Amino acid sequence: MSALRRVLGKLGGLLLTLFLASLLVFFSRFLVPGDPVSFLLRGRKPSPEAVAAVNAQYGLDLPPWQQYLSWIGGVLHGDFGRSLQYRQDVGAVIGERMPVTLGLVVMAGLMIAIVGLAAGAIAALNRGRVLDRSILIGLTALGAIPSFVGAIVLIAVFAVQLGWFPSFGSGDGGIDTLYHLVLPSTALALVFVVLVGKVTRSSMVDQLGREHVEVATSRGLRRGTVIRRHVFRNSIGPILTVSGLLVAGLLVASSIVESAFGLAGVGSLLVQSVSRLDFPVVQAIVLLIVFAFVAVNAVIDILEPVIDPRAAAGGGAR
Amino acid sequence: MTLLSIDELSLDLHDGTRLLHGVSLEIAAGETVGLVGESGSGKSLTARSVLGLLPPRAATAGSIRVDGREVLGASRRDLLALRRTSASMVFQDPRTSINPARTIGDHLTESLRVCGGWSARDATRRAVELMESVRLPRPDEHLRQYPHELSGGMLQRVMIAGALTGSPRLLICDEPTAALDVTTQAGIVSVLLEQRETRGMGVLFITHDLNLAAAMCDRVVVLSGGRVEERGLAREVFGNPQAAYTKRLVAATPTLAGAPGGDSVGPAVVVERIQGGSDATGRAGSVAGPPGDRRAEAAPVPPQALLDIRGLSKTYRRSGREAVTAVDDVSLRVERGGALGVVGESGSGKSTLARILVGLEAADAGEVVVDGRARTSLPASRAARLAHARSVQMVFQDPYLSLDPRLSVGRAIEDALHLHSHATSRDARARVLRLLDQVGLEERHADARPRTLSGGQRQRVAIARALAIEPDLLVLDEATSALDVSVQAQVLDLVASIRRHRGLTVLFISHDLAVVRRVCEDTVVMHRGRIVEGGSTAAILAAPQHPYTRRLIESVPRPGWDPAAAGAPLEPAGRGQGV
Amino acid sequence: MTTPTMAVTVLRAPRAARADLTFGLSVGVLGVMVAAAAFAPLIAPYDPDAVDLAAFYSGPSAAHWLGTDALGRDLLSRTIHGARTALLAPLAVVVISTAVGIVLGLIAGWRGGWLDSVLGRLFDVVFAFPSLLLAILAVALFGKGLVAPVIAMSIAYAPFVARLTRSLVVAERSRPYVAAYRVQGFSPPWIATRRVLPNVTPIVGAQSTLNFGYVLAELAALSFLGLGVQAPAADWGAMINEAQAGILGGHFLPALVPAAAVVLAVVAVNVIGEEYSNRIGGGAPA
Repeated sequence: MSALRRVLGKLGGLLLTLFLASLLVFFSRFLVPGDPVSFLLRGRKPSPEAVAAVNAQYGLDLPPWQQYLSWIGGVLHGDFGRSLQYRQDVGAVIGERMPVTLGLVVMAGLMIAIVGLAAGAIAALNRGRVLDRSILIGLTALGAIPSFVGAIVLIAVFAVQLGWFPSFGSGDGGIDTLYHLVLPSTALALVFVVLVGKVTRSSMVDQLGREHVEVATSRGLRRGTVIRRHVFRNSIGPILTVSGLLVAGLLVASSIVESAFGLAGVGSLLVQSVSRLDFPVVQAIVLLIVFAFVAVNAVIDILEPVIDPRAAAGGGAR
Repeated sequence: MTLLSIDELSLDLHDGTRLLHGVSLEIAAGETVGLVGESGSGKSLTARSVLGLLPPRAATAGSIRVDGREVLGASRRDLLALRRTSASMVFQDPRTSINPARTIGDHLTESLRVCGGWSARDATRRAVELMESVRLPRPDEHLRQYPHELSGGMLQRVMIAGALTGSPRLLICDEPTAALDVTTQAGIVSVLLEQRETRGMGVLFITHDLNLAAAMCDRVVVLSGGRVEERGLAREVFGNPQAAYTKRLVAATPTLAGAPGGDSVGPAVVVERIQGGSDATGRAGSVAGPPGDRRAEAAPVPPQALLDIRGLSKTYRRSGREAVTAVDDVSLRVERGGALGVVGESGSGKSTLARILVGLEAADAGEVVVDGRARTSLPASRAARLAHARSVQMVFQDPYLSLDPRLSVGRAIEDALHLHSHATSRDARARVLRLLDQVGLEERHADARPRTLSGGQRQRVAIARALAIEPDLLVLDEATSALDVSVQAQVLDLVASIRRHRGLTVLFISHDLAVVRRVCEDTVVMHRGRIVEGGSTAAILAAPQHPYTRRLIESVPRPGWDPAAAGAPLEPAGRGQGV
Repeated sequence: MTTPTMAVTVLRAPRAARADLTFGLSVGVLGVMVAAAAFAPLIAPYDPDAVDLAAFYSGPSAAHWLGTDALGRDLLSRTIHGARTALLAPLAVVVISTAVGIVLGLIAGWRGGWLDSVLGRLFDVVFAFPSLLLAILAVALFGKGLVAPVIAMSIAYAPFVARLTRSLVVAERSRPYVAAYRVQGFSPPWIATRRVLPNVTPIVGAQSTLNFGYVLAELAALSFLGLGVQAPAADWGAMINEAQAGILGGHFLPALVPAAAVVLAVVAVNVIGEEYSNRIGGGAPA
C-alpha cells in the first residue's frame, strides 16, 4: 500500500462521487412530469426563438444520455449554458458574483476558525469547571440561532438601532467591502462556530484523557508544551474532518445571509434564480457547491496520513 | 537512606469518595518494592501520586517524599524538576502510552530538547544509547518509526528507555507487563532488573500478579480497597501470609509449582516445594492413555473420543496484505468427560480454533467431529444451527461484552431454553432458576441487567446460558483472563464442580499455563497456528520437549528464592554483577 | 498542581438538579408549542389572517399581547398558527429519514461486503448535497411549497441516520454477545432485527431528535427565502420574510416574535436531544 496508490484510490473515489453527483443534478430535471421545454420555459413566453434556444442548449430531441454528455462536456469546458433571466452565459453571471461570496465565506471562515478553536480549547482545558460549563451553555444557545435569525437580529441591533454597520449591499470595494461584510459574516459564522467549538472541545477532552498525554506530563514537560505538542496536535484530525463537512453548509447558508443583507453574491443568485425559474443557473450553482464540497473533503482525506501516520498503514482508528 | 517515603497518604475525589486510606511505604536506593493488589485497590493511584499525577480536583493528606523533598503541595516548578530528574514512570500499556502521531525518536528526545535545551544531535545520540541499553535491535531505524510499526514488547522497551532519559533515581513501574505475552514479559523484566542493578535505582513495582511480584521484589506491600493489608519481605508475605486478605489472594493464585490438576478447591500456595509429579492426573478417571504417550498428531483414534479434530487449517487472506495462517494442520482429541487445555500466546491461533469449533468461522481444510457427528461446516439451516449449538457451546473472554446489555439475566437464559426446547414459560422459568443455582447465583439475579453484575457474576451467567443448551462440549476461551485472581479462582472452582456433576467435556483455552494446570489433565501447546506439543499437563510442565514449550514455561515468573525455580531466567542475571 | 476545593463537591448536586430543570423547561416549552399547534384555532385570540389596517404596527397591548404586523394582523395568533407547519414538517422529515436510514444502515452494517460498499458510495453522493441545497433544488424543480422540500430533506437526512446506524451495527456485530447468540443457534436475521436493532435504536433516536431541530431551522430558512410556505400564510419563516422591510423602519417585533419562536423551539429540542443521549449513554453498550 504505497502512498501513491492511496492517493490515486482517493482521487478515483472523488471522480466517481462527482460523476454520480452530476448525474443526479442533470437527471433531476427528468423527475418533473411533462414536456421539458415547457418546464424550462415556465413563466416565460414560449416564443419560437426561446424554444429553439432551449432546444439547442439541451439538445432536447436527443436521447437523455446524449443530452447528458453534451451538457457535461460543456461544463468541463466551463460552459454552463445560458441564463434565461440574464440572457448571458451562466458562467459569466456566476463569475460576476463570485468575489462577494468568496469574501463572505473567507471572512466567516476566519471567524469560525479563531472563535471556534479558541472556545473549544478553553472549554476543554477547563473541563468540568464553571468556565467550561458557561462556554458549553453559550455554544448551545448560539447553536440554536439559525443564520437568518442571526441576520435579522444583527440588522435590528447593529444596523438599525445602533447604526454601527450598514445593513445592505457590499460597499465599494477594499476596506468598505470588509466593513460591509462584518455583520453578514458574523451571521454566517454563528452556527458553524458552535460546531467547530464543540468538536474541538470533545476532541481535546478525548486526548487529554489519553495515556500518552499523562506519560508526557510524567516526563516533566510543561503543561503548555504537553498541550501544544500532544493534546492539540492529536486533536486536529477530527476538527479538520468536521470542518470539511461544514464547507458545503457554509456555501448554502451564504445564500440565506446574502439574501438577508442584499448582497449580490452567488447564494442570493441561487435563490433569485429559483424564484425566477432560471433553471440553468440553479443547475450550475448546485453543481459548483457540490464540486467544492467533494474537492475540499478529498483534499482532507488525502492529507490524513500527515496528521495520523496510522492512516497511511491502512489501519488507524483514532 | 530512603529514596521514597510515603507516609499516611489519603486521597479523596472531588465528590468525596475516599480512594486511599492512609497508605505508607518506603523504598531505599537499589531496592525493589512491590505494590500488590487487585483492581480497585488503589495501587496505580498511589504510584501516580508520587509524580504528582493526581485526578482532577482530588484532595490529599499525608506526605510523599522523594529524595527528602515533599511532593504533595510542591510548586509547579519543583514538580517539573522531580519528574525530569528524580523519578519517572513506566506505564501499563505501551501501545497507548506513546503519542501515535509522533516518531519514536521524537518521543525519546522530546524532554531533552524541550526541557533540557539539548541540541537535536546530542539528544538523538543519547536516545540511541538508551535504546541500546534496553536492547532494542535497530536504534537508528527506530528513531524514524511510528509506534504502530513496533510490537508491544519493543514499545515497552522504548517506554523504559524514555523513563531512563533523565537518569532518575526512582523508577515506578505500573503493571509494565500486564498487556504483554509471558515470553515478552520475561524480556522486559530482565531489562528492568538489569537497569536497576547498573543504575542503583529504587523501583516501585506495581502488579496484580503475585508470582511476578515474588520474582521481582525484595519487599512487598499488599493493598486492598485503598488500605495496606500486609507488608514485609516478599518471601515472608507470600510464604507465610498473615492477613486474611493476603491468605485468600495467595490461595487463589494459580502457579506452576505445587499440586497440579483438577480440584482447585484446596488452597494452592505460591511457594510450594513439591514440583508437580505425574500422580495427580486421573482426577475423574476421564483421560484415556498414559501421559506423554498421546502426542496429539500421532495418536490413533479410539472410538470413544468426544471431540476429534483432524488436520484443521485456516488461512486469512486480505487483499494487499500477507496471508496469515492462523490454524495450521491441527489435530487433537478429547475423551468424553475430559478437559483439554489449549495454551498459547497472542497470535497462536487458539481463538481461531475455538471459533471454528463453535461454527463462527469455516475451516479451509480438515474436519471436526463431536460425539461422532461432523461439525466442520458452517451451519446453514435452522436444524443444522440448533444441532451444532447442542454439540458445542462457548464461554467468551470478556464478561462485560458477552452478555446482551438490554436483557435481564433470566431472559437471556430463557431465550436459549425456548430456542432449544419447547418449554412453557413457567417451565423455562423454573429451569432458569435451577441453572442459576447451579452456577452459584440466586433468584434475584434473574431479573438483573448485566451492568449491575460484577465480572465474575457475568461469567457465571455466561456459563449458565451455555449449560442451558446442554452441550456435549463446552469451550472456554480465555474465560477467566479478564477477572481478578480471587474471582478467577471461584469461576475455576465452578467449572471443576460442573465437570464433576455433569461429566461435561471441556476445551479450556488460555494463555496462562498455571490456570490450565489447575483445570486440565491434558494440554496442547499452540505456537503460530501449530500444535507443538501435547500430553498430560503434568508431564509437559515437568519435562517439556519442544523448545517453545520450554521457553514458555521458563518465562513464567516464580519467586527468586524458590529452590524449584533455580536457574529460571528471572533470577536476575544482573544480581551477580557488582553495583 | 491541583488544589482541592470543597466548594466543587458542594456544587455537584445542584448541577444535576439544574440539568433536570433545563430539561423540564424544554419539555414544557415543546409541550406548549405542540398544544398550540394542535388547538391553534381554539387558543389564538384572532384569526391569523384578519387584516386590520387601522392597527398596523401597534406595539404590545391588552388587545394584541405581542402587537401587530404591517397589515395589522395579530402577531400572537399568527405565531400560534405558525407552530403547525413549523413542527409538522420537520416531524415528517425526521420520521421518514429515520425509518429509511435505520433500514439501510442495518442492511449495510450487518451484511457488509459489496452491498455495504454500494450503499456507502450512495450515501457519499447524497452527503455532497447539503440538505438545504437539495430542498432548494426540489423547489426549483417542482415549484414553491413544502411538500417537495420535505421529501428532499428526508432524502438528505436519511444517509446521516444510515451512517450512524451502520457504524453502531458494525460495532455491535463485533461484540461477543452477538457471537454468543450465533453460537446458541439463533439465526442471523433474528439476531440483527430482534437483538442488535433494539440496542442501537436509542442512540439513533437521540440523534434524530437533534436532527429535528436542524430541520426545523432549515425549513424555516426556506420559507424565509420565499421558497417554502408562501407569504400570506402564517408560518414563522414566512412571517420573518414579510417583516424584513419593517426592521429597517425600526419595527422589530413582527420579525423578532417568530424568530424567538424558532430559536426557542430549536433550543428546547436540542436540550431534550442532548439530555436524552446523555441518559441512554450510561445504559447503552456504546
